[in-house]
Amino acid sequence: MSDYTIVGKRMPRVDSRAKVMGKALFTADLKLPGMLVGKIKRSPYAHARILNIDTSKAEALPGVKSVVTGKDTKGVKWGVFAYTRDQQFIQIEKVRYIGDEVAGVAAIDEETALKALDLIDVEYEELPPVFDPMEAMTSQTELIHEDFANNINVHVNIDTGNVDENFEKAQYIREDTFVAPEESYFQAEPYAIVARFDHEDCLEIWCPNGGPHMKSKPLSNAFKIPLHKVKVRKIAIGGAFGGRSEICPVDYICSLLAKKTKKPVKIQFTREENTIATRQGHAMLTTHKTGVDKDGRVLARETTCYMDGGAYSSTGPIATSVPFLSMEQAYRMGSVRYNGYRIYTNKPIRGMIRTHGRGFACGLDTQLDMIADHLGIDPVEIRLRNSRQPGEYTSTKSYVDSCAMDETIHKAVEKSGFKKKWGKLPPFHGIGIGTNSVQTGFPMGIRGGSQSFIKFNEDGEATVMSGVVDNGQGNDNMLVQIAAEELGLLPEDIHLVSADTETTSSDPGSYSQVSTFVGGHAVKIAAQNCRAKLFEVASKILKVSPDKLAAENRLIFVKDDPEKSIPIKKVVRISLLNFNSVNAEGGYWPRVDMKREWVKNPYGQMCEAFSFGTTIVEVKVDPDTGQVEVLEATAAQDVGYAINPLVLEGQFEGALTMGGQGGMLTEYHEWKDGRCLNPTMLDYKLPLACDMPPKINNIIVESVDPKGPYGAKEAGMSIAMSAAQGYSAAVSNAIGVYMDSFPLTPDKILAAIKEKKAQEN
Amino acid sequence: MEKILITLNINDKPCEVMVYPNDTLLEVLRDELDLTGSKESCGEGVCGSCTVHMDNKPVRSCLTLAMEATGTKIKTVEGLASGDDLSDLQQSFIDHGAVQCGFCTPGMLMSADALLKDNPRPDEKTIRKALAGNICRCTGYAKIIEAVAHTDNPQDQCPDCKTGSKTKE
Repeated sequence: MSDYTIVGKRMPRVDSRAKVMGKALFTADLKLPGMLVGKIKRSPYAHARILNIDTSKAEALPGVKSVVTGKDTKGVKWGVFAYTRDQQFIQIEKVRYIGDEVAGVAAIDEETALKALDLIDVEYEELPPVFDPMEAMTSQTELIHEDFANNINVHVNIDTGNVDENFEKAQYIREDTFVAPEESYFQAEPYAIVARFDHEDCLEIWCPNGGPHMKSKPLSNAFKIPLHKVKVRKIAIGGAFGGRSEICPVDYICSLLAKKTKKPVKIQFTREENTIATRQGHAMLTTHKTGVDKDGRVLARETTCYMDGGAYSSTGPIATSVPFLSMEQAYRMGSVRYNGYRIYTNKPIRGMIRTHGRGFACGLDTQLDMIADHLGIDPVEIRLRNSRQPGEYTSTKSYVDSCAMDETIHKAVEKSGFKKKWGKLPPFHGIGIGTNSVQTGFPMGIRGGSQSFIKFNEDGEATVMSGVVDNGQGNDNMLVQIAAEELGLLPEDIHLVSADTETTSSDPGSYSQVSTFVGGHAVKIAAQNCRAKLFEVASKILKVSPDKLAAENRLIFVKDDPEKSIPIKKVVRISLLNFNSVNAEGGYWPRVDMKREWVKNPYGQMCEAFSFGTTIVEVKVDPDTGQVEVLEATAAQDVGYAINPLVLEGQFEGALTMGGQGGMLTEYHEWKDGRCLNPTMLDYKLPLACDMPPKINNIIVESVDPKGPYGAKEAGMSIAMSAAQGYSAAVSNAIGVYMDSFPLTPDKILAAIKEKKAQEN
Repeated sequence: MEKILITLNINDKPCEVMVYPNDTLLEVLRDELDLTGSKESCGEGVCGSCTVHMDNKPVRSCLTLAMEATGTKIKTVEGLASGDDLSDLQQSFIDHGAVQCGFCTPGMLMSADALLKDNPRPDEKTIRKALAGNICRCTGYAKIIEAVAHTDNPQDQCPDCKTGSKTKE
């Protein structure tokens, strides 16, 4: 569909050679001279007042170099928004969950650091904890945060008007409630950080992150040092999935220990700490009330969702909105009212996650299937009657430009044989469909845009600088592909300097699915600007106007007469001899509505593009054990344009595994009195190679977004979301019961089968 | 507890190293010998990220004491390539897009390498079983399984076998 030479091709990733050789360095692999080991003292109580902390014994232990507590933090609080700054980096007055940070230690080795933790005496006065969000709203006991009445942290209200009137007009109305507990990221790499203050008193840190510039600003605020003195360095990152976007207390504590000891300090989380003390997905209870006309078109919907936010705000306002936004993008609605409540409880902190709102989305799709069932139409038809179309506005007034939602449905239906199988499969054998849409970006104010610099070296190779971070999804390769394409070089000629706050400009990070759309776009523009400079010089040598030139395979040539060419290296050298610069910059800022705000004004252009995904899943359920065997999964996504189909397929397969196979069949946390009972890989059931369906069909749909670079937009996440929905629909179809409690574990499946049998008898 | 001098044979080289009796092989590889290719992800023998070979068999180095490894031949991910020349399996992982974040990759390679030494052309089911002790959170395993299956058995219809530098047959 294009005549690009490097973009759009299946290109093995530039970072994979170092990774297969074991040479890629992750944070825990770093060793700096004189480096100390840091550890964190955590609260054993879910809710308690700190009466006193005595660190004298710990400080006296030989080998201990520093002990820090809340007294050392100057009371700085963290929150993504000014109105959600509710988390001190080290707690000083009270603790709000089992695992809350109360002190940090730096010592010569791990053993000494662990001994020192035991020697810190913390005197607590226990307070009544609350773990259930519904109970937390009516609880008469001490509020978790005194400024937040009824423990309600965030309330998002969206109302398009006419909801009640439209319910009056509806032919059929259903109201159903769906629940899902918390899930976790389980990134392969447990969180780790190395921090040091260098010879110029600059703070230098290495850690997994969803955006280096999102780490540097809060650290500069916390230490009250200029932004240029915080240098977040690039390091290989072992996955993020939405969980490593914000700053964590450990970032501050490790930096503080480095400052106090004047030595590099490394803190490596245990697997349990990675689960408990970073972020988790929200538990949710969602009620959807939907009214449709006689053809199944949604006239009115009212959704109320209660989210268990845990102890602090984190990305609260965003997290309370995104499950709703994904569904309002995917489906047209005549009118809608949404009330999302994020509630504080004495549990670990919840943030953004790749499948954000599985209970919410699966509930909405399950209800759609129930409505279709009632009206006698099939699940595909009801989706097509309500699916988002290009050129429309969402309920919250975002214009949807490119949209191939219907094409993803049609192609997935055809590939999976849905129409032939629906209603004709033997007992306990089912097929289901899920559809979803994800934002390509959030309004992020001054950090919404990305800027890139490119410099040509005299050997004709180029260095590309970009703030984009690679969490493992392949962003580095994406930037290299784009730069090579535009500069007319080969990928191996591009040296990438990225994700380093000292050398790169502000960038939104990867956490709002925006790396390609914004960061990749900035590199594309910078490369085009750089190429234009070379063409200026080359045009004089080749004696044609610059617009007649093209660049490919290290050559600049005349488009109509490719024999007439000159090596790029030569053009660079001639430019330099003739006092011409061969560097360039470029930036991209998505035109979003800057007045849109998550709580105060949730209307206006959200982002410039949306992805659309459909997943169809076929399963067999064992009625004796409740075990689900997935026979085949088909994932189709409108990604705008596939910059690298090889990488993209990997995103589809990974998303399907996390959202569907894990997210809908096995993954959830269990609790006792605020303590997570399954924080480790032994107890939390992640999908294994032997669990996966024998066949995953990937279908890449390209709507070529007019604003995205080459037409590209978000890729992968609407598969994670729609896979959760597809899995749940397939299991419901197999057992003939619409499930309302996710994930669909064998115990729930067996109970549903049993109940159905009892009703039939 | 006192440190003891032991000699380990790692990637065909003798390495003298002082260890505590309770040091794991993973700790000694990473902290004492700077072989940080083997990763710690779970620390309890579940995830497979620390897999190395002990006398050609895959073992979890986080559950193996360094002292147990004396007198054996240890191979780590750093020993798979010969200098700059990648093994066929490593090349296949690259070509098939089997590497995403790369944290599980070393352990995955070591499990797969041990399998291929025993059975150069395993079927898919055998591969899934052999890799069941290695958790990958990024890929969904599909491309990893394909990379292993096609290492010694390239497929004409596979677009990623053709891009490989070492296509056979």
